[in-house]
Amino acid sequence: MGRSPSAGGARRFGRWLLPLLLVVTTSAVDAQGTLTMPAKALQLEQEGKWREAVTAYRAALREASLLPVVLGLERVYSQLGWSDSLLPLLDSLLLRHPQDAQLRTVQLRTLTWMDRDVDARGAFAAWRAAAPRDPTPFREYARLLLGDGRATAADTVLREGQRTLGNARDFPVEMAQLRSALGLWAASAASWREAVEQVQFMEPSAAFSLLPAPDSVRDAIRDTLAAPPVSIPARRVLASLELRWRSARDAWRALSDLPAGDAAEVAWLAFADEAEQQQQWLVARDALRAVLELKPDRDLAARAASDAMSGGDPASVLALVAPFDSDSDSATVERLLPVRVRALAELGRPVEAARALDERGAALAPTVRAQLTRSLAWGWVRAGDLQRAAAALAESPMSDDDRITGWIALSQGDLEGARRGLRRSLETSPDIVLAQALLARTSALTAPSIGRAFLALAQRDSLGAARAFRAAADSVRDAAAPLLGTSARLFAALGDTETAIAVWSRMVDRYPSAPETTEAELEWSRTLLARGDRASAVEHLEHLILTWPASALVPQARQALDRARERIPSSP
Amino acid sequence: MNRLRTLSRRAAVLAALLLFPAVLQAQHLLVPMDDAQRNHLKAYGLMYNALKDGNRGEWFLNYRGGSFLLPDAPALRRRAALDGVTVEPLDNAALGAVRGEMAGGNMDAVALEKAPKIAIYTPPSTPPWDDAVTLALQYAGIEYTTVWDDEVIRGDLAKYDWLHLHHEDFTGQLNKLYLQFRDTPWFVEQRSRSIATAEELGYPDIPALKKAVADRIRQYVENGGFLFAMCGATETLELAIAAHATDIAASYADGTPMDPGANARLDWQRTMAFQDAHVEMSPFTNAMSDIDGHQVNVPSRRQPLGQFTLFSFSAKFDPVATMLVQNHRNVIPDFYGVTTSFAKATLKPGDTVLAYEDGAPWVKYIHGDYGKGSWTFLGGHDPEDPQHNIGAAPTDLSLHPSSPGYRLILNNVLFPAAKKKPLKT
Repeated sequence: MGRSPSAGGARRFGRWLLPLLLVVTTSAVDAQGTLTMPAKALQLEQEGKWREAVTAYRAALREASLLPVVLGLERVYSQLGWSDSLLPLLDSLLLRHPQDAQLRTVQLRTLTWMDRDVDARGAFAAWRAAAPRDPTPFREYARLLLGDGRATAADTVLREGQRTLGNARDFPVEMAQLRSALGLWAASAASWREAVEQVQFMEPSAAFSLLPAPDSVRDAIRDTLAAPPVSIPARRVLASLELRWRSARDAWRALSDLPAGDAAEVAWLAFADEAEQQQQWLVARDALRAVLELKPDRDLAARAASDAMSGGDPASVLALVAPFDSDSDSATVERLLPVRVRALAELGRPVEAARALDERGAALAPTVRAQLTRSLAWGWVRAGDLQRAAAALAESPMSDDDRITGWIALSQGDLEGARRGLRRSLETSPDIVLAQALLARTSALTAPSIGRAFLALAQRDSLGAARAFRAAADSVRDAAAPLLGTSARLFAALGDTETAIAVWSRMVDRYPSAPETTEAELEWSRTLLARGDRASAVEHLEHLILTWPASALVPQARQALDRARERIPSSP
Repeated sequence: MNRLRTLSRRAAVLAALLLFPAVLQAQHLLVPMDDAQRNHLKAYGLMYNALKDGNRGEWFLNYRGGSFLLPDAPALRRRAALDGVTVEPLDNAALGAVRGEMAGGNMDAVALEKAPKIAIYTPPSTPPWDDAVTLALQYAGIEYTTVWDDEVIRGDLAKYDWLHLHHEDFTGQLNKLYLQFRDTPWFVEQRSRSIATAEELGYPDIPALKKAVADRIRQYVENGGFLFAMCGATETLELAIAAHATDIAASYADGTPMDPGANARLDWQRTMAFQDAHVEMSPFTNAMSDIDGHQVNVPSRRQPLGQFTLFSFSAKFDPVATMLVQNHRNVIPDFYGVTTSFAKATLKPGDTVLAYEDGAPWVKYIHGDYGKGSWTFLGGHDPEDPQHNIGAAPTDLSLHPSSPGYRLILNNVLFPAAKKKPLKT
C-alpha cells in the first residue's frame, strides 16, 4: 500500500532538491554553450510543467549522462504522485549497471517513500548480492529508515551489516544517529566521537544529534566526549553542545586544556566565533586569551578586550592590552587605546584614563576622542566626582542628551534633568532600567536623597546604596515602595537577609496596594525558604495568594508554595 | 506571625469578595472539570480533603468534564484559592437547573461520602518522584501511606481501601535490568535490599518473596480491596500469580533456570485480568511476556507510540466505568512504560476496556471485578514523560496542572469514595 507522495514525499523531497539541482545545472550546458536535453527538462520542471518534464527527461535518457536524468525523473514523478513509474526504468537500468550505488539508492529511496517495505527489502538484498563486501547498501538503507523514523528497522539493518562485514567501525555515523533516535545517548556519544575522529565535517551533525539529550544523561555524554586520550574533534562537539545547553563556562572548559598547538588554536578561534555569536562574551574572551598566550597579536587582543567589556569585566581588559602598552605606533593606539580608556573609566579610575588619553590620544580621530571624553566623564561619575564629570562632559562637542548627562543629573538629585537625559537612552543595563523605573514612579522634580543612592550605586558601593534607597523612601513618599524594594534587593544580594526582611515587612505593612509589594512578599518567602523556615514561608505565600489573587505573580507564588510543601520536586 | 495570621484571615475574606462578587452567600460550590478549570489535578485534592474533613460531595459524571459539587464553606474556598482551583458558587435554583440538565442526558450524580485510605506499595525511603501515582497524590495534597513487602506479608493491606502498585517486578527478576545495570549503585542497593527482605521474611530468594506478596495482593482484592496498578506492576503481578506452581525467574534471580515448560503450567484461573499469555524465556530479552503490546525495551519489537481514546459509558447504567474515564479530553497521547499496553489477545473476557488505540492489537486502560473487590490497570509509566528513561528528571506537575493522563490516575483515587448505588440493570 503506497502513501501519497504529493504531500509527505514532496516535503522530504525538499531536503534533496537543492544539491540535486546543482548537480543537474552543472551538466546543463555543453562545451559549445548550448542547452542540453536535461537542461530543457530542468527548465520545464522549474516551470512546474511536470508531464512535459517527464517526456523531456525520458528523451534525455538516450543522450545525457544517466544520474541527473534519473534524479530529475525521481523529482517530477514524485510531484505527480507517480513514483512507482520510476521503478520499471530503474529495474532495466540496474540490469545494465548492477553495481551503480546511486541508482540503487534511488530505487531504495523510492520504495521506502512509498512504504513498499517488502520490495525495499528485496531491493536491499539485490544490492547486497551485487556488492557483497560493500558497506554502502547497509548505510544507505539504514539512513533512509532512520529518516523515516523507523529506528528499530535501521538498527536491524546496521547490525546485519556489522555481522556481514565483520567490522563494527564501518557505520559510526549511522550507529550514532540510530542510538540518538533510540534515546541511547551515552552510546550515541561514543559513536559520534568515533565518527568525528574519522570525518571532521560531521561535527555539526554530532552536536545537532546530541542536543536534545535530557539533563539526566548529559553527564554521561560529557564523560564520553571528554574521556582520554584527548580528541580535539570530540572536544569541539562537546563545547558546541555545552554552549547550546546554556553552560558557556563548561563549554570553554571542554577546550581549555587542549594541548597547545595549531589544532588547538584553530579550535579556540572557532569557539570564540561561536561564543561571540551567542553573546557569551567572557568565554569568547577566554578562548582568545588562550590563543594570545601562544601567539601575541594586537588585533586579537583588541577583540578579546572588547569581549571583556561587553561581558562586564573591565578589569581583565587592562591585562589583555598590557603587552602592547609600550607600542606607540598609530595603528596600535587606534585599536587598543579606546578600549583601555573605557575600561579605566568603568573601573572608576578617571585619572589614569585621562592621562592615557592625553599621552596618546592625538593619534585618534576627533569623533573617537569625543566619545572617549564622554567615557572619561562617566569615569568621574564612577569615582564620585560629579563636578569633574560635568566639566569633562562640557569639553565634549557631542550632544548632551544622553546617558551620562542624565546620570550626572540623577546623581545630583535633579530628577527632571535625569528624565530628560535618560529618556533617549537606548541602553538596557540594569542600572538604567532601575533609574527609569524609579523616575516614572515619582512626580518630584528634585530629590537629593535619591541622588545619593544612585551615586553610591555608580561607585559600586552596594551597602551605601541600599541604605540610601531605604532613607530616600522617607522623603520621596510617592516612590517609597519601589525605593524600599530596591533597597531590600540590594541588602539581600549582600547577604544581609535580616535587614532585607525588615524592609520587606515595612513595605507589606505600609504600602499594601503598591505593585512592588507583591514582589516583595514573594522575595521575602523565597528568602525564608532558602533559610529553611518553611512554615513562615508558607504563611507569607498564602498571604500573598489570598491578598492579591489577581497578581501576575500568583502562579509563581503557587509554585513556591507547592515546593515549600514538598508537593513537587525541588528545582535542580 | 499573629499579625500575619490576622492579615491572612482578612485577606481570605477579601479574596472571597474579589473572586465571587456576584454571589456572596451561595449554598454550593461547583468545581468544573472542563476547560474552565485551571488546575484539574488539585481539584481532586480539594474534593478528597473535603471528604476527609467530614464534608459530603457529589461527582457529576459526564457533566462539564466530570465536575464535583461541594458545600460552600470558607475553608473550602480558601483552599481552592490557594491551590488555584476554579470553583463556581451555585445557589439551590442554579443547582436545580444543573440537575435538570443532567437528567436529560448521559450524565448522573454519584454521592461521595468518605475519603478512602490509600496505600502505595513502594520500597522504604524511595523519593516520591519516580511513580506517577505518588507524584499525583503528592501534588494534589492527598494523604497516603507507603507499604512494602513486610507489611504486605504481615497482612496490613486490610487496613486500606485502595492500593497502588507501580513498576515493581513481581516475578522477582528486578525488571530484567541485571545484565545492563548490575554494577550501578542504585541497582546494587535495590537488589541487596530485596535479598535482605526475603531472608528476613523467611523466603529463599527474591522471586519466592514476590510470589508470596503477589498472592497477598490477590487476596486483598478478593476480599474487597481496590487495586490500581500501572506500568510493569500490571503484567508482572499477573505473571507471578499465574506462576504459583512453576519457575519463571531467570537463574541470576533465584539460582535455577526458568522452567522450560513454564508456559504450560501457568494457572490463569487465579489471575485477575489476563489469560493465555506467554512468558519471555530469554533472560537476555528485556520483556516479561507477550501481555505488553509495545515491548519498549526490545528494540526489534518496539512499537511506536500513538494515542488512546477513552471509551464512553452510560453514566446511569455503568457508573463505575464512567467514573474511571472522566476527563476533559477524549483522546490522550500514549506514553511508554516497562509495560505500556495490554495485548487484546491476553485479556480475559470479563475485562472492561476503558481506553483503546484505534486499530491497534492492544488496549491501554482496563478494569474488572475480582471476588468482592475490583482492579484497574493503566499501561505506561508517566503520562507527561512519554519516553521516560532511567535517571530522567522527575516530572514537575505544576507545569502540567491539567494533565488528562494524570486525571485518569486521580479518578481511580476518588472512585472508592463513591457511595454504592443499587445497580439499575
